[in-house]
Amino acid sequence: MITSLTSILEPVLSSTAMLAPDAHGHAAHTEIGSGPSWILLIVGLPLLASIISGLAAALGVKSKQPAWTTVIACFIAFLFTVSMYISYDGTPYTVKAFDWIQVHTDSHGSLIANFSFYIDTLSIYWMLFVTGLATLIALYASEYMSHDVGLGYCRFFAAFGLFVFSMACLVMGDNFLMLYLGWEGVGLCSYLLIGYFYKKPEAVAAAKKAFIVNRIGDLGLALGVYLTFVHFGTLEYAKLFSDPKLLSYVEYASVGNFSAIPATAQWIPLLLMVGAFGKSAQFPLYVWLPDAMEGPTPVSALIHAATMVTAGVYLIARTYPLFIASEHALPIVAWIGTITALLAATIGMAQFDIKRIMAYSTVSQLGYMFAGLGVLTPTGGVYHVLTHAFFKALLFLCCGAVMHGFAGQLDLRKLSGLRQVKGWGIVTIGMLVGCINLAGVPFTAGYFSKDTILAEAFVTPGYELLGWILIFTAGLTAYYTFRVFFRVFMGPVEYHPGDEAHDHDHDNDAHGEQHHHDAGQNGDHHSDHFHPHAPGWAINTVLATLTIASLAASGLYIVGGSSDKHTKHYAETMVMSSTAAFSSPYSEHAFHAAHDSHDDDAHAPDDHGSDHAAPAAGVGPRGTIEHAQTVPLFGGDPHKMMYYISGVVGVIGIALAWFLHLFGRTEAATCKMDPIARLFGPIPKWAEHKWYVDEIYWAVIVTPLRIFSHVLHWFDKLVIDGIVNLFGILPRVGAWIVRPSQSGVLQGYAVSMAGGVAILLLVVFVLIAQGGLS
Amino acid sequence: MNEKLALIVPEIVLFIATCVVMITGQWPSRALREITPWIAAIALFIAAMIGLNTEPTPGALLPTIAPYAKAMIGFIGLLLLVNLSGVVDRQLERDVDEGKPFLPLRSNRGEFYAFFLFSITGLMLTASADDLIWLFLALELTSLPTYIMVAISTQSNKSHEASVKYFFLGALGAAIFLYGFALIYGATGSTNLAEIAQHFATHGLSPIGTAGILVALLGLCFKIAAFPMHFYTPDVYQGAAAPVSAMLAFVPKCAGFLGIIAITAAVGWREGGHLPETVESTLWIVAAVTMFAGNILALLQSSVKRILAYSSIAHSGYMLVGILAGPGEAGAPFYRNGLAAVLFYLAVYGVMSVGVFAVLGALETRKDEEADDIECLRGLAKTHPVLGWTVILCALSMLGFPPLLGFVGKLGLFASGVSAGQIPIVVILGINSAIGAVYYLRLVAVAYLDKGQGPAPIVTSSRYAGRRIAALCSAAGVVVLLLVAQPMASAAQRAARIDRPVITHDDLHDAHAETDLHHDDDHDS
Repeated sequence: MITSLTSILEPVLSSTAMLAPDAHGHAAHTEIGSGPSWILLIVGLPLLASIISGLAAALGVKSKQPAWTTVIACFIAFLFTVSMYISYDGTPYTVKAFDWIQVHTDSHGSLIANFSFYIDTLSIYWMLFVTGLATLIALYASEYMSHDVGLGYCRFFAAFGLFVFSMACLVMGDNFLMLYLGWEGVGLCSYLLIGYFYKKPEAVAAAKKAFIVNRIGDLGLALGVYLTFVHFGTLEYAKLFSDPKLLSYVEYASVGNFSAIPATAQWIPLLLMVGAFGKSAQFPLYVWLPDAMEGPTPVSALIHAATMVTAGVYLIARTYPLFIASEHALPIVAWIGTITALLAATIGMAQFDIKRIMAYSTVSQLGYMFAGLGVLTPTGGVYHVLTHAFFKALLFLCCGAVMHGFAGQLDLRKLSGLRQVKGWGIVTIGMLVGCINLAGVPFTAGYFSKDTILAEAFVTPGYELLGWILIFTAGLTAYYTFRVFFRVFMGPVEYHPGDEAHDHDHDNDAHGEQHHHDAGQNGDHHSDHFHPHAPGWAINTVLATLTIASLAASGLYIVGGSSDKHTKHYAETMVMSSTAAFSSPYSEHAFHAAHDSHDDDAHAPDDHGSDHAAPAAGVGPRGTIEHAQTVPLFGGDPHKMMYYISGVVGVIGIALAWFLHLFGRTEAATCKMDPIARLFGPIPKWAEHKWYVDEIYWAVIVTPLRIFSHVLHWFDKLVIDGIVNLFGILPRVGAWIVRPSQSGVLQGYAVSMAGGVAILLLVVFVLIAQGGLS
Repeated sequence: MNEKLALIVPEIVLFIATCVVMITGQWPSRALREITPWIAAIALFIAAMIGLNTEPTPGALLPTIAPYAKAMIGFIGLLLLVNLSGVVDRQLERDVDEGKPFLPLRSNRGEFYAFFLFSITGLMLTASADDLIWLFLALELTSLPTYIMVAISTQSNKSHEASVKYFFLGALGAAIFLYGFALIYGATGSTNLAEIAQHFATHGLSPIGTAGILVALLGLCFKIAAFPMHFYTPDVYQGAAAPVSAMLAFVPKCAGFLGIIAITAAVGWREGGHLPETVESTLWIVAAVTMFAGNILALLQSSVKRILAYSSIAHSGYMLVGILAGPGEAGAPFYRNGLAAVLFYLAVYGVMSVGVFAVLGALETRKDEEADDIECLRGLAKTHPVLGWTVILCALSMLGFPPLLGFVGKLGLFASGVSAGQIPIVVILGINSAIGAVYYLRLVAVAYLDKGQGPAPIVTSSRYAGRRIAALCSAAGVVVLLLVAQPMASAAQRAARIDRPVITHDDLHDAHAETDLHHDDDHDS
């Protein structure tokens, strides 16, 4: 696997080696220009909104003012991001807010980490959907959280604004410390918002779990950052990615000469990776994300589906050269991603809580992104981030609307046929669009972005098995996605409200009756007592916008993509002109396309008739094309074949879901799947219990740690505390001893002073006399 | 003569105000009497602003210290002045309220504010001192009025006792450093600090010179309340009224450190940033013992004033670490410049120590009786939120708790100590910060929690709003000044510049010529 990775890198990188100074062109200047200072507002406005919401909490505001403040701030930030995107001329630049940390050491150079922002295509790309989604979801939340208007409402939006600020620091920071600041900031906001319903023990436990599991990842990130500084002597992206040492490592890596790269440098990505795994919920650190669904749904949509959890993908894409320079880093990323994708998909199949299914689906899709990064297509990974952000936010918000309307009911066995309930049309359409994207139905955005990853797994030698696993997982994804859709939105109309009716004071009368609705009862309850609370204009507007955006995201691929195979699609343009590009196999292509497309055309026509613009096969450097030929898939080019394969797999998954969960179903609770599931014996039960991963962690890690900590506790109490107390007592004993010197008697003081001076002088002069001092 | 006068415009302003204050304080008209502190305040403000804009002194050993020091003295002086409201003439003004005639002979107001301004004048003069005689006179002008201020600050005998102790021991201290100055003069034949520095640089330290420097430094330890001259501190602080104690904590300490900086600058930090070994080891011992003595003795106290007195001793030890670290290489940034750290910390200490004293002054256990016992602070954050939080913030700041102002100050001392290679003393500084945490956190805990044995003593708020305002300013200062910590630190860094004489093995004359070239000034005139 490893040798194969080097073999694919070899021709590409050796050919780019000569071009290196140019290909790195824009990222390579140590002195890079500074940009307009209005860019600071993108970061500042959400913070301002957060502060205003915090003040509103302090002043006891009982209106929706915090929501509007946040929506407006995020929207203006989004507009500024758009204008940053429009005015970007292809040259990265920084914008400095103020000097932050500047420590000059003799041995390792200067530690300079200013509070400044690095703007290149990658950060613009990320900020576009972060601010855009934040605006939409804040608007959604303004209605969704309305039952909590008052202190909780202010608290929610204060944390929301702080989250957007932290995310902006994470994405736009121009050095690792800014990234770390943002990283911890989003972690904090995630903790605060998961634990938003702090009176609910599960929410508190989930918040703690998220925080603690992320600690493990953050430790890795912190160590990676330290090691980066120790090895490269800088934390600033502009300096790091033009560091001659790093460039030479990348060249060594291109010829497979990993032994020439110091072990320290190879350790850096392994440590950074741990941070990425924690934040992006990858195996084995994914366990916190499903539990994080205890938070309010807008939070799940924004933080735990669309933006924060993609921070790990961002980190790896941003530091891609570091990963290239390590022998094991990218293969590990690829395999961890694949394992996560499969594992989470299998768990997702057996869950009944629709929000939880979406959570596992998020974990699974994040696995795809990591697999994409690992198989040398950061473009695929990053493009999937964008498409996934839209359709998964949409799916979550639809689930949220269901939860909001049905008093917290999320069990797919207790909801059915919502399509036909009045007022739920937009939710149904939104859900459908989200599902076809997630399932990878042909010509949707999710289809294109997933195919890029799948195809690249077959292009890159040594990853065929990984590719097959991912294709199998794609089938599972289509199945569990449409399982939700067919159960909840299609079929006969039937619904049972959840147990949160008391919380909705605006609907007390209708919801108060919910105790009569027993899960075991059959029949129509919907018209008797319970009136589902159809979403209002804010939620519907947001859902409609996101539905359109999810559909339009495929346009980013089609327009400028397949229409002209030699130009790159949108995401590729954005990724390949950032720091993620310069050591990727396609950098030559990116360079050519960016600077000299005619030249590129002249070289390209003789390639192999592939009719798409996914990176390598069409227009990549010759070496890559040869490799692409050596790994045919069903006798064809993998990129071409993948369209058919994954399309077919997706449709099979949907068909299965239709047959098992909709065909002939007459009530919400049972379907054709039930007898089939019994055939598998205990396996579905195991999957429903998440393969007992939490229990395994508990037994293997938590319990031994607890025992160990008890041992340490007693050691601490008996031995360490004893020593500490001794030290605590010593000064007091000393105080008792010297206290008489403070007698209060004037003559005594005078004698002490004069005597003290005399003794000191005597000591010094004796030392001089003995030659001890000069 | 004239160019020297140009250097002391702020002092002249203060002196004029002093004369006015002496008259208005005794005036029969009550309105004019009450305007007295305002006159002093305006004069202080003007002096601070003029001081801030003072031009660097060409040819002096410390050419840029005056603007920073004078501005700092002026503004902290203002804070101290606000805090001094209602110290004197309480009974007298009450009598006047009851219709009795005003007796100028019984009034202390005029002289009290006059002495305060005299002391501040002396302190500013210390900052611009370029001569041993000037330095001595300035130091004494700083201290002499404080002896009397202690005595008249309360009606009780404890103040008189404190004053007498302070005066006699102060005289002893002054005698010691004056003796040191005399020895320095004997060794170098000059009283001008720049010339002394030149002499030491070209001829090295003679034994007499060494003795002079050491004696002078040890004598100055009285002013900063450092070992072996620290014994008076708790008694005097406790005996004086809290606002006067606050002044004693800042004014003489500041004068002492300005004097110590002047003297050590004359000996010079040699290449590698070290003082001559004799001076360094003496200061090292003084710093270490001072820190331990201050912090350890504070542990057993129940009187807040005594705790603050020992804390004041300990802080002097901390700041001596900065002196040991020295100014670093030419143009060294703040965190490598120990002198800058000291100058910065003086301002920080001034701001944060006033707070707790002001709280003590703002609380009364009985009529005209200031709170002193630590139990008086119990639950203060609930009963008197402003005062309670002042105690908490100031104590945490003195502890060096991030992100308060004291943390930034201590960081400078730590960083400069480390960069100068003074690792052992920095370790001692760290240990002492930990010991100090015990009693600072005790203050915090007492003010924040209200649990304790028995009922808390009944304390009431004093009717003098100035104390509360000073407390509030101090508490706000340790938080708000963080925002300008960067400019303050760079100002301190600019101020802590030493124009070192050029060390050469040529004869004195050549060295003179070269220095003249560098400084555009002639020392021979």
